[in-house]
Amino acid sequence: MLAGILNKKYSRPTWEECSLTATPADQSDDLILVQRIAARGEDALRELYGVYGQRLYAYALRITEVPAIAEDVVQDTLIVVWQSVCRFRGEGRLLAWLLGIVHHTAMKALRHSPQLITDAIETTLATDDPTPEEKLQSQEQIQWVRQGMKSLSPDHRAVLELIFYQGLSLSEAATVCDCPLGTIKSRLNYARKHLRGILNRQEEAK
Amino acid sequence: MNAHEYYKERLLLLAVGQLSAEESSKLQKHLEGCPSCRAEFDFWISLSDEITASNAAVLAPADIPERTLAQIRKDASPSFRANFLRTYNLMHAQAYLVKRELWPAAAALMLLGVIVAWLSGHTEFLSFLAPLVAAASLAAIAGPQNDPASELTFTTPTSPWRIMLARLTVVAGYNLLLALVGSLILLPAIPFEFFGNLILSWLGPLAFLSALALLLSLWIGTSNAITITYALWIVQYLHVPQLSQSWPALKAWDSFLAYFRQFWQSPTILLVLAVVTIFLALVSTQLSKYSLKSVLN
Repeated sequence: MLAGILNKKYSRPTWEECSLTATPADQSDDLILVQRIAARGEDALRELYGVYGQRLYAYALRITEVPAIAEDVVQDTLIVVWQSVCRFRGEGRLLAWLLGIVHHTAMKALRHSPQLITDAIETTLATDDPTPEEKLQSQEQIQWVRQGMKSLSPDHRAVLELIFYQGLSLSEAATVCDCPLGTIKSRLNYARKHLRGILNRQEEAK
Repeated sequence: MNAHEYYKERLLLLAVGQLSAEESSKLQKHLEGCPSCRAEFDFWISLSDEITASNAAVLAPADIPERTLAQIRKDASPSFRANFLRTYNLMHAQAYLVKRELWPAAAALMLLGVIVAWLSGHTEFLSFLAPLVAAASLAAIAGPQNDPASELTFTTPTSPWRIMLARLTVVAGYNLLLALVGSLILLPAIPFEFFGNLILSWLGPLAFLSALALLLSLWIGTSNAITITYALWIVQYLHVPQLSQSWPALKAWDSFLAYFRQFWQSPTILLVLAVVTIFLALVSTQLSKYSLKSVLN
């Protein structure tokens, strides 16, 4: 049974298969892409968005929860990339570097519009339609995870997103969030306890 | 930490596929016989599934690159008015990020200097004090210890050197204004023809000492920058003729001091040095530990 779960886990569509965008390039292709952007290649910037745009937008949306703000965050991120791409030396993954810029830009955007976020979350909660994938899963399970995710702080949601969707290691997540590895672990632990608490309360209520 | 706790900590890594094949195999065996870890593992899998499923419904807008490029082109060729507004907005925003205490403290010290100069009749006291106040102000405008938002500031599309230049302009302009107002207050106490000399006596030292304080603060921190610049400024007053008469060895020190004082009384040289030092400070901002690279990597 366990092997079944693991097989299911590893045979799930990867991000590359899920998205409609191009396949993320390997590290040497990333460096070439970076050099083309540094040489002011507009097509290279479009290509970068084609490769990583979906991930960057998903991450921005996970933190801000407001599509309009997430779009601004990604746009500002691309401007930073255009102006500061020569700072990327290829010491880590390009994705982690990009997510770091998204993270800081999104957190700054959140600090500037806390009220807007709160209102938007309420709207999102009220109007979210289930996707086809969700319909295949247990409705109850989706409900508690979704509710739990919404009630977490942006910092905790960011860590879960980086680990589970963006496929970053714990140390890469620490770099993106600009915090120690221990903080990432403690945020994961808090998120686990928080979500488990919601699950347990729901089970007790039955 | 016993084996159970060790395995429990690594369940998350198993769920996201970040364990080696060997470790995965060991953990799977443990899971078969441990209901507690199994429940934990199922929890992480459920969470992972939900995050992946919710992101599958997210579609990044296709027009973001074009909007970005349009914005970049617009920023690259702004009109004079847009340039002016952008510069004003940048300086206005940076003025709020400078330590609040700096503004009243600099004004209070300068006022004290003017009062002492007026009461004692020694207007040169203002020339002594103004560079010190300016140096302390400029040494406290950069770095995380002076600006908690510095990390975020340097992730914005505005280059670090532009941010520093805006901050420097605001604070240096404020210092210049304070010294100028102080000199004007002292105007009735001195002959009118000496007013220009009074201005020149503090202008050069103020410019160079504060530029040097800024550069040093970027390299070695605010406290060290203030200590060094203050020492450089104050040492010119360590002239004790009686001692040098008793101790011939101190004559060399006296002749050094004569040259050193002459240096501080050469406004043209000091202003040129100030420009060079500010240029070095702006270059250092791009290269320093506060740059985007170190923030993000």
